[in-house]
Amino acid sequence: MAYLELHRLRKTFGDAVAVEDFSLSVAQGEFIAFLGPSGCGKTTTLRMIAGLEQPDAGTILLNGRDITHLPPNKRNVGMVFQSYALFPNMTVAQNIGYGLRVAGKPRAEIEQRVRAMLQLIQMEGFAQRYPHQLSGGQQQRVALARALAVQPQVLLLDEPLSALDAKIRVELRQEIRRIQRETGITAIYVTHDQEEALALSDRVVVMNRGRIEQIGTPPEIYNEPATEFVARFIGHINVLPVEVADAAAGLVRLGAQSLRVEGAPLNGRAVKLGIRPELIKLGALDHHNVLQGRVVSVTYLGAVVRVHVEVEGHSVAVDMFNEHTLNLPRPGEACALSFSPRACRLL
Amino acid sequence: MARRLWTLMWGALALIYFFVPLYGTFDFSLRMQRGMLSLRAYELVLSDPRFWEGLRYSALMALVTILISALLFVPTVYWMHLRLPQARPVLEIATLLPFVVPAVVLVFGLIRTFSRPPLQLTNTPFTTDILIAAGYAVLSMPYMFRAVDVGMRAIDVRTLTEAAQMLGASRWQLLRDVIFPNVRVAVLSGALITFALVMGELVLASFLVRPALGPYMQLMGLTKAYEPAALAILSFALTWLSLGALQLLGRRTLITQMTTR
Ligand SMILES: Nc1ncnc2c1ncn2[C@@H]1O[C@H](COP(=O)(O)OP(=O)(O)OP(=O)(O)O)[C@@H](O)[C@H]1O
Ligand SMILES: [Mg+2]
Repeated sequence: MAYLELHRLRKTFGDAVAVEDFSLSVAQGEFIAFLGPSGCGKTTTLRMIAGLEQPDAGTILLNGRDITHLPPNKRNVGMVFQSYALFPNMTVAQNIGYGLRVAGKPRAEIEQRVRAMLQLIQMEGFAQRYPHQLSGGQQQRVALARALAVQPQVLLLDEPLSALDAKIRVELRQEIRRIQRETGITAIYVTHDQEEALALSDRVVVMNRGRIEQIGTPPEIYNEPATEFVARFIGHINVLPVEVADAAAGLVRLGAQSLRVEGAPLNGRAVKLGIRPELIKLGALDHHNVLQGRVVSVTYLGAVVRVHVEVEGHSVAVDMFNEHTLNLPRPGEACALSFSPRACRLL
Repeated sequence: MARRLWTLMWGALALIYFFVPLYGTFDFSLRMQRGMLSLRAYELVLSDPRFWEGLRYSALMALVTILISALLFVPTVYWMHLRLPQARPVLEIATLLPFVVPAVVLVFGLIRTFSRPPLQLTNTPFTTDILIAAGYAVLSMPYMFRAVDVGMRAIDVRTLTEAAQMLGASRWQLLRDVIFPNVRVAVLSGALITFALVMGELVLASFLVRPALGPYMQLMGLTKAYEPAALAILSFALTWLSLGALQLLGRRTLITQMTTR
């Protein structure tokens, strides 16, 4: 039984379609990430759930109730903004308590709840500070506490960390996940950072040009990309145009060399073969596909060394762990590449 | 070094330019009694009931004007920031009109329109006051609009509105709790400028024949010698008091933003 159900949402701005045919079922307590390039409609979808935009078509059900046309202040949905949006004229405690105050809750209850929230975000000593006296990370934690104080049914976060620097970002995203687990709240998290999406969420919704490309768990999204867009957008992937040689045996041809693929049925047309760089090894191995090529470049990326090899006029990236026993090839050398037939994705 | 000297020299010149006439007026206002310095002129002004009547009337009109102007511009500018950013150029030009159209034109327009049916307002003092307050509100537009606009620019009106909505606040609650407290200082600074403007306004009140401070000062200027000087000093003091209050609000940045725009 879905807790939050989005059914065929559509939104246009003038002639431009921002979101189209967007359907998603979210279970209670689930953490969902919307991931996609800039302008793909993540924020627009989130704002439709919040009630800040009206969909042109489609419905939104929350716990069985149709909220499609409810105003934002009647939805019981919480939101955390990229710019924090704390009220500058109120202290931290007043910010956190504001939702309860406008709901007319008794003072004692507000105070108690504010204390609990401050404890949850581990900022007990900051109750009387004003927002401008806090760092960005602290402000965003207060914004999170403020959104959670009213116990919304769904929490929406629109790139909450993108205004912070890299180190705080990683810390705070773990913090958000911990708080989400502790409160058991259903959360939707918008980001264009794939690492954030993969690290945080139960399921990822990959979007492109207003449409859903794929919905899946992080391993599904990474290991079994449904489309070429997803394969290219998440991590790095080599995409090679191949011709089908023998569909029944799963044989394809790349130039003069032939490869075996597994897992997907082949039909007669030309296909694209996707292989992640970390699944390719240098050297010829038994029971593997082996391609012959020539080393073009070797690049240190820290933990990983990326080698570019030219195979049949295509550049293929190979990632190796940077172990100190590593025997690196030199540009210009001939070399062999091996990968399992199961490592191949047909796109 | 030479540069510094030039700066000093220009500064001194400016000081002389502004303060010598003021000092002259002040000095003159003290010389009503032959051969000695005295506050006689001030005594005469302050004991003239017409002065107090003018002051009371103008101050009251100023407060009414501020109320009208704030009630008009806070919601308008809020809505412009929230929903109609494309209306900004129109509003900017419209609110500048009082600088382009002289007050005389405004007052003749008002008299022509409102001294005949169906909206005959000039025949009783009270309805004339309504007309004057409305006219003052028009004159205050350039200041009030900009003051409120600067205040709203300093906060992210749209996101704050949305954040409050998401916490369950109604439109009225969020205006009261979030928007207004954050633009209060800006509105106040607009209000003080409006106050100073109305206290010295001459044209509207004299054409509509109401007992404001401006016409009184003009009358004195035509008929007396020392009292007008004392009045000038008093009105300067009033203006400076307003400006001092402005500074006290502690938002120097706001004022520099407004005056450098
Ligand atoms: N208020 C609006 N008026 C007109 N067009 C809009 C409006 N809001 C969004 N759009 C358009 O809708 C599309 C989707 O925008 P949206 O903000 O949802 O993208 P996004 O995925 O959140 O991108 P980003 O990662 O840059 O935040 C974009 O092409 C954008 O230009
Ligand atoms: Mg966005």
